Amino acid sequence: MNLLLVGCSYKTAPIELREKLGFDGPKLIAGLRDLEALYGCEAAILSTCNRVELFLARADAGGPDADLIAEFVAQFHGLEVSAIRPSLYTRYGIDAVRHLFRVASSLDSLVVGEGQIAGQVKRAYETAHTEGTAGPVLHVLFQQAHAVAKRVRTQTGISRGHVSVSSLAVDYVQQVFDHFGDKTILVIGAGKMGELTLRHLKALAPRRIFVTNRSAEKAAQVAAGCGGQAVPWEALDDALARADIVLSTTGAPEPIVTRRRFDDVLARRSGGTMVILDIAVPRDFDPAIHDGDRACLFNIDDLQRIRDQTLKERHKSVAPAEAIVEREVQRFLGDWNRRRHGPIIAKLTQEFEARRQAIVAQLLAKLNGRLTPEDRAYVEGAFKLLQNQFLHGPISALAEETPGEGSQHTLLEALRKLFRMEG
Amino acid sequence: MAGVMGFLEKVEIFCFAASYGVALALELVHLVAPRPILRYVGLGFGLAGLLAQAIYISVQPVPLGAPAGSLLFLALVLAVFYCYGTVHHFRLAWGLFVLPLMLVLIGLAVLLREVGVSREYEGAGTWVLVAVHVATLLLAAVGVCVGFIASLMYLVQLHRLRAKLPPGQGMKLLSLERLEAMNRRAILWAFPLLTAGLLLGVALQIQGGYFGEGWTSPKILSGLGLWIVFAILLYLRYAIHVRGRRVALLTMVAFVVLLVTFVTPGHSFLPGGTP
Repeated sequence: MNLLLVGCSYKTAPIELREKLGFDGPKLIAGLRDLEALYGCEAAILSTCNRVELFLARADAGGPDADLIAEFVAQFHGLEVSAIRPSLYTRYGIDAVRHLFRVASSLDSLVVGEGQIAGQVKRAYETAHTEGTAGPVLHVLFQQAHAVAKRVRTQTGISRGHVSVSSLAVDYVQQVFDHFGDKTILVIGAGKMGELTLRHLKALAPRRIFVTNRSAEKAAQVAAGCGGQAVPWEALDDALARADIVLSTTGAPEPIVTRRRFDDVLARRSGGTMVILDIAVPRDFDPAIHDGDRACLFNIDDLQRIRDQTLKERHKSVAPAEAIVEREVQRFLGDWNRRRHGPIIAKLTQEFEARRQAIVAQLLAKLNGRLTPEDRAYVEGAFKLLQNQFLHGPISALAEETPGEGSQHTLLEALRKLFRMEG
Repeated sequence: MAGVMGFLEKVEIFCFAASYGVALALELVHLVAPRPILRYVGLGFGLAGLLAQAIYISVQPVPLGAPAGSLLFLALVLAVFYCYGTVHHFRLAWGLFVLPLMLVLIGLAVLLREVGVSREYEGAGTWVLVAVHVATLLLAAVGVCVGFIASLMYLVQLHRLRAKLPPGQGMKLLSLERLEAMNRRAILWAFPLLTAGLLLGVALQIQGGYFGEGWTSPKILSGLGLWIVFAILLYLRYAIHVRGRRVALLTMVAFVVLLVTFVTPGHSFLPGGTP
């Protein structure tokens, strides 16, 4: 296997450079076609906001080298090769396999365990497959990478829990409520920070969304944006009493809902538990409101603390995940070598088999009449054992061979020469 | 045929109790190191236990009227509930709540194995009335158990929310709203059945001509106590709209009263005294 990876990631290149090197949409198709046409090799490109990686492979020896691919990338994007070369990394053979498996398993991601990268790797392969630039090496490699990512995800806790504040907020809401068609969401303020959370909450399809703000104009604006209904600031307590979920994002310097005020609201309320997502800084709700029964209050500190805890838990799974990746890399290598060396191993075995049978037949003919059937079986068995022991070393060495950095002088070549085998 | 029956008769309480025990152990391991395979294997053991228990109840002479029979039947229904719940909510820690309860009921059944059928049933009128009386009370007990499980889950989920534990970590449970609805349905299912069962008991007494006798027996008193707890639950839930933790706690009290009803001796009003 002659596999080459050239790429850059958030670890080696700043965002400005990654943006310039991105292969998105038509560029991806053009890039794949150019790579195949120019170098006659299999090609797949993984292009995300955090990394751009080119995978090039040939089943036989030969193919482009890293400098050539760096020149191609620079030329393709209209950049100077000297400007990008220091940011590019290169992996060959088994190291490239390991790298892809780690990337697909999100071990190399900015946020360890994030779920998007496995899908992005899959899409990179699907595009190469559709464009016909993925061949026998990349087919096996990417399919295996997908399987490894799945194994890591299911067998370790690396992707457990959410790590974005808005997703965590929605997770809490879903721990309290089961269905949302009869729920009312109240949005207090018009802070930018709440936009993503509101988008997530809106996706739950609540019955209605109330929006209130000190500025009636801003309230109307936010309400129009989310399909909600603006409520006067003076009616905040009424709206609170009717709300099931509250999202607060004001820029008020002091808490706008104190414990006493909230107790009055609760006294007027007939519904069940209220979930309050206070993502304003400074906080809008008095933390003493949280009792975990009638009111569940989560502020930005809570959500960030939980995010940190989740990340910490995920990091505990890194070592087991790395172990799975390493096991899978070795398995991939063994499978690949078996597939690659299958014909030569079969030929080697056949030749030895033929020679052994000829020698044994000669010997038995010479000893004809002097051996019992048990003796004959013993002699045949001894020669077979000798053959197996003799071939065990070369066959095992072939299976364990690590693909080198494009070297022509492989063990396979050596065996062909040593045993004078053709083809 | 005789060989098959001989084999089926060899099924012991230990067989299904051990199966449920292994399923519970696998659930506990899953809690520490989550792997879907653990839950699949646990479900397999649960199903094996369910089959063994169904065979045991069908083959062994354990009448439903006896405490052991009632408890085993209740555990069987909960085993169905466990299997259904695990298949339906595969990612939730369903077994962690249902399996221990099943094992407790089976344990009590073993302890009360020697206690026979209540004398009331032996001397009571028509067989059909007795059967309906027992069946309605047992089905009401199923409702109480389901309500108890839902309440326990509710309180654990409430604790998780109160402590602001990370939603993705530890055991996964249904939402508070769903658990509350489950509890509500269980109560609404159990209360009419319990009422009907108690009224049938009264009818049996009238038919037997000993109405009003032995009403101070612990079994009858605890049965009435259960009915009162349920009446309070319904009043709180529907008349004054109490929700959440208090309803969950009261449902757990109802379950404790149910257990007392099961373990207390049978009626002592018939000639011959307490069985």
